[in-house]
Amino acid sequence: MRPENYQAINHPPSHEYELNFGPNHPGIEGNYALKVKLQGDQVVEAHADGGYLHRGFEKLMEGRLWIQNIALVPRICVPDPVPMEMAYSLAVEELGGLEVPIRAQWIRVMQLELSRIAAHLFTFGGHAATTGMYTTMYWGVADRDLFLDLFEELTGGRVYHIYNIPGGVRRDIPDGYLDRVTSTLDYLESRLPDYDNLFFTNQVFVKRATGTGTMTQQQALEWGVTGPNLRATGLKLDVRRDDPYLVYDEIDFDIATEEAGDAWARTLVRRKELQQSIRIVRQVIERLPSIGGPIRCPIPNPLAWNVPAGEAYARIDSSKGEVAYYVVSTGGDKPYRVHVRGPSSMHAVQVLENLVTGGRLEDVAQIMFSLDACPPEVDR
Amino acid sequence: MIKDIPIIAEQAQQPRRTNPLAHVFDELMNFARSRSLFMLHYCTGCGAIELPPAMTSRFDMERLGIQPMVTPRQADILLVTGYVSIKTLKRIILTYEQMGSPKHVIGICSCTVNGGMYWQSYATAKKLDEYLPVDLYIAGCMPRPEAVISGLQKLIDNIKHGKSDNWKDYYQRYDHYLGNQQHLFGNNWQTPTDVIGEAREYGLFGPQTLGQHTELLESVQKPLQPLEMKL
Ligand code: SF4
Repeated sequence: MRPENYQAINHPPSHEYELNFGPNHPGIEGNYALKVKLQGDQVVEAHADGGYLHRGFEKLMEGRLWIQNIALVPRICVPDPVPMEMAYSLAVEELGGLEVPIRAQWIRVMQLELSRIAAHLFTFGGHAATTGMYTTMYWGVADRDLFLDLFEELTGGRVYHIYNIPGGVRRDIPDGYLDRVTSTLDYLESRLPDYDNLFFTNQVFVKRATGTGTMTQQQALEWGVTGPNLRATGLKLDVRRDDPYLVYDEIDFDIATEEAGDAWARTLVRRKELQQSIRIVRQVIERLPSIGGPIRCPIPNPLAWNVPAGEAYARIDSSKGEVAYYVVSTGGDKPYRVHVRGPSSMHAVQVLENLVTGGRLEDVAQIMFSLDACPPEVDR
Repeated sequence: MIKDIPIIAEQAQQPRRTNPLAHVFDELMNFARSRSLFMLHYCTGCGAIELPPAMTSRFDMERLGIQPMVTPRQADILLVTGYVSIKTLKRIILTYEQMGSPKHVIGICSCTVNGGMYWQSYATAKKLDEYLPVDLYIAGCMPRPEAVISGLQKLIDNIKHGKSDNWKDYYQRYDHYLGNQQHLFGNNWQTPTDVIGEAREYGLFGPQTLGQHTELLESVQKPLQPLEMKL
């Protein structure tokens, strides 16, 4: 048929059908589902369907001691667990009036940024896989493993570290650790041009990601978007800079932004953040040897620790967005109430539903990965 | 709730095999099966995060002949990676019943063994082997990729020696598993698969396949309707 003779058929509404996207689906991140209503391969309507990973965290935490909860919180966000421990510790420190030693604060910054690097590498891998580029996934996961090795040496755990406790960190850095961090960072930096060639400037990716899942700055603010996703719409908002915690006010770094607000911009922001994180960790490595002192302040017997009554709100910037803990104590040995404000519960529900609608079926997975949502944190 | 550990019930009456080479054939089949395993990893919980490292370049489980597979109907192994919430468990059971035999279930993480960290949670199912016949547990919170791979090697050995046939148990003692499932999900629980029919088909119909729970299932079961297709 000649193209000028071709007339697109307007499908009657009965052509709409519903598709379960997930929970056991290779294109979805973790155990999460979307119900999409399709017309051809156009998404007409999308509903997030969570709850597959619900464990009742906030209730569980009310039943455990303050110190026991440290082992529980990293499970809320699996790919990037450090910010969870950190925000909880910061909130409890605020309640208990604990003064964290300077050395511990620098170690914490290093750990946060290493965790951000590891999480971003993992996300790049997943995102590339949704556009059919599996090599990036293999590389990203393998390079992330080098950072997990660093964590293992420092904390004893590859993924869950349980390293930050209220009052400081559990143990000091081992001998020669900073050298090994430096060499791993050097290695990652030498790999970045390869990643650029393979993924970030690859036309397969650029063409599919440009204009996919676009949101404006106004929409992003209305939907409660935070972190790299918000910065990809051009807004320079970063808790590390605007409401500094730990020693971020002494550290020199840029806030990565992009203007476009689409999947491509979001990925580029993460790519730039990777370099900024490397820069931050290098500053820590420079400063840490000259800072002496203890690595944690004395805390009462943790098994019978009655944290003074009050409420505290601590927020930090994780690789996914803004993580915050609201902790209420009535002076008992267990929290009265802990509320977790996770970034993904916005990104994977209302934002995802809105961005997917009107798009095409093959972009659903890509949009989800470009938002870098983390299902266990949505369901908690 | 019935609490006993699944033990394979005695073999149901099977047609006698007269071919003298039958066991040679069986061994050959077991060997072939053990070398080509397709794994469906249902990312139920945090343990799933150690699977990408185990599958990709660094630990590389493909050298053992194990590959991820995306659909249940073509998979041999069902990996349950972590705590199972009740909502997920329904999907896992449905996934398991869709897989073709012989099939194997591996429970990764302490949470599938006894509830792990979430032993007091209201939302999770504590012991996976009450609902599905588990072949192998890999304990740890979370198990390292090396542990996952050594567990899979153990499974390969078991399959090669014909010791890993817990899937038969699901048919032979379906009543037991169904009872536990009904206890958790309520009396209206049903899946669109026909386990009892399959048990007859495979010659695995045992004395405990039917019981009070399957009677309950039959009384509430809605007959399967063919899906209405319209274009
Ligand atoms: S055993 Fe640990 S890592 Fe595994 S699912 Fe349970 S809490 Fe998560």
